[in-house]
Amino acid sequence: MSLSQALFDALRLLWEGDPTLWGIVHVSLRVCFLALLLATPPAVMLGFALANFQFPGRRMLIVLIQTLLALPTVVVGLILYFLLTRNGPLGNYELLFTQGGMVLGQAVLAFPILAAMTLSAVQGADARVVETARMLGAGRLRIACTLMLEVRFAVMAAMITGFGRVISEIGCAMMVGGNIAGVTRNITTAIALETSKGEFAQGIALGIVLVSIALVANFGMAALQGRGGQK
Amino acid sequence: MKRFIPFLLALSLLISLPNEAAENAGVIKLATTTSTASSGLLDYLLPKFEAKCSCKVHVIAVGTGKALKLGEDGNVDVVLVHARPAEDAFVLAGHGTDRRDVMYNDFVLVGPNNDPARIKGEKDVLLAMKKIADTQWKFVSRGDDSGTDQMEKSYWKALGIQPAGQRWHYSAGQGMGEVLMMSGEMRAYTLTDRGTYISFKDKIGLPVLMQGDARMFNPYGIIAVNPKKYPRSNYQGATELINWITSAEGQKLIGEFKVGGEQLFVPSAK
Amino acid sequence: MSLLQVRALQKSFGERNLLDIDALELHRGHSYVLTGVNGAGKTTLLRILAGLETAGIGSYLFDGQTAIPGQLAPRIVYLHQHPYLFDSSVFANIAYGLHGRGLNRQQIENRVHAEMAWAGLAQVAHVRPSKLSGGEKQRVALARARALSPDLWLLDEPTANLDTEARQQVTALIGQIRDANNCVLVATHDTDLANLPDAVHWVLDNSKVDERSLDAGD
Repeated sequence: MSLSQALFDALRLLWEGDPTLWGIVHVSLRVCFLALLLATPPAVMLGFALANFQFPGRRMLIVLIQTLLALPTVVVGLILYFLLTRNGPLGNYELLFTQGGMVLGQAVLAFPILAAMTLSAVQGADARVVETARMLGAGRLRIACTLMLEVRFAVMAAMITGFGRVISEIGCAMMVGGNIAGVTRNITTAIALETSKGEFAQGIALGIVLVSIALVANFGMAALQGRGGQK
Repeated sequence: MKRFIPFLLALSLLISLPNEAAENAGVIKLATTTSTASSGLLDYLLPKFEAKCSCKVHVIAVGTGKALKLGEDGNVDVVLVHARPAEDAFVLAGHGTDRRDVMYNDFVLVGPNNDPARIKGEKDVLLAMKKIADTQWKFVSRGDDSGTDQMEKSYWKALGIQPAGQRWHYSAGQGMGEVLMMSGEMRAYTLTDRGTYISFKDKIGLPVLMQGDARMFNPYGIIAVNPKKYPRSNYQGATELINWITSAEGQKLIGEFKVGGEQLFVPSAK
Repeated sequence: MSLLQVRALQKSFGERNLLDIDALELHRGHSYVLTGVNGAGKTTLLRILAGLETAGIGSYLFDGQTAIPGQLAPRIVYLHQHPYLFDSSVFANIAYGLHGRGLNRQQIENRVHAEMAWAGLAQVAHVRPSKLSGGEKQRVALARARALSPDLWLLDEPTANLDTEARQQVTALIGQIRDANNCVLVATHDTDLANLPDAVHWVLDNSKVDERSLDAGD
């Protein structure tokens, strides 16, 4: 089968609206979305704290976060397996081979990106922001909120980057989710399965969906970055 | 931008709704091998079982070693694999209980059309493997401790041959489908289960060159995870599945399952 | 009694002694124009008085009471040479300091509109702050501060880099800021600003601030 044949079959599959395929897409979107929801508040707060406060161990923490950015997803999956396994520390929650477990895993993957990029965003904020807010009588809490508002587009870009990482990862999803049909089978694990079965058309169809999602997300990011600068 | 926000919120809400299969209660977690899952047998069998028991079976398809490990760790309720020695060890170690024979399929040797090692029509699998080793024509191995891999290793062991590291022996470390594709690309020999072969035969252009030796029969066993070790596992569900799959009804369905007009599995429950 | 009285203010950068001021007094109802060569330290002085930079200070008295620089905002307000406007709207910028003062929504709205009218900003009310011209930004900054009725204004080169028309507008507004109750200190090179009515002229030269008489023919 040639590439063009596979591509043609793939587009036909998409067009026919196969419910299994769209169910798989739904799993991907749902898990990624919930993972970001879980990871964003603590990560953003951490990034903010790292940018604005000095405390012992600050440097170490920043180095740690940046190292976690490079961690292979399958390693994260492996670590989570040991945490979530029946006799493991979190075994009682029975999260292995569920969407909940996948959400946890992808939240862990997104966290360093969100924290590092928020740190960057806040550090990159205009120095006059804090001064202006202070001069206008804002207290510490209000200054913090104002600062976050001023860098909101950069933080949103961080979220989209985090989304990009988790929607296209497979190592963790496979380990923690188990690729169970209709339950934890998402786009990437389905692609792996279909291609291992030689069903390249299916794999390509799913790949097209994934790339489209990533395109939409990145268009969003480009639009946000366009709005974010006033320098 | 302002009008975009309610749209985003609606979309987020829609995405967050769980799909119906995400429930956890009444679920039986079954670990099995990728080749078993890929054959399509379970997609054929399990819905009939689920209708009877009003339960759901979640199938996790991984390599044999990992399937057994999942059972050992108590992360699934029942395992279905085809690696008898490993299965016996599993039960002996107390990880599993109630082991039953289920079915068997068979392995075949496939290779390039021109058959450089001249194994076509051979009746003795050990002789065929020896010819391949002597000719030093390419052979792709699973290399992942799967049932297939263990079967291959048993042949080399019986012959007293050590293929590891020799340049004609390629240890892929991947699933059966990938290994078949690789063999097709490389025009190599490989040992494969009949079921996966049938699914891939049009894609790889390698004919079956040797089959039928009784030592190529591949028996499957189903084992429940030991409830004494893991009281919270779904032992009841596991038992229901084991009873059903070894019942007259389940066995009949196994025999009726065909791919490309060919029967893949022979029921063998006693 | 002076509005702000500072004694023994010292600031060095490394080995260089930037500021070494024995005494400085600002009084309500007065304007002060501070000139000096580039790099003399005008900005630094203003920022120190506002509490945005640290320095060695002997004593710092606001309305006769000891105070800590920076904790008096917005009674003392410092305006950057290039003001920063928050990435929201002109309205939100001007309203910024009015929140949390116990005013209801209508009162805040009224005040903002009043300041916008004062600063001639009605036409740009819906423009995004990043799209405003330099002069418009200055006027927003002035309106934003004026909404809070500060006692002491510290203006840092408010007309630098503005075109002629904008300079005139900003200068006119600055002239209107001061009343009997507050005090304005402007650091500037602009001779138009120097002509603020009744302004006291100071020169920052070689780390010292000296009063300069207009008649001295400089």
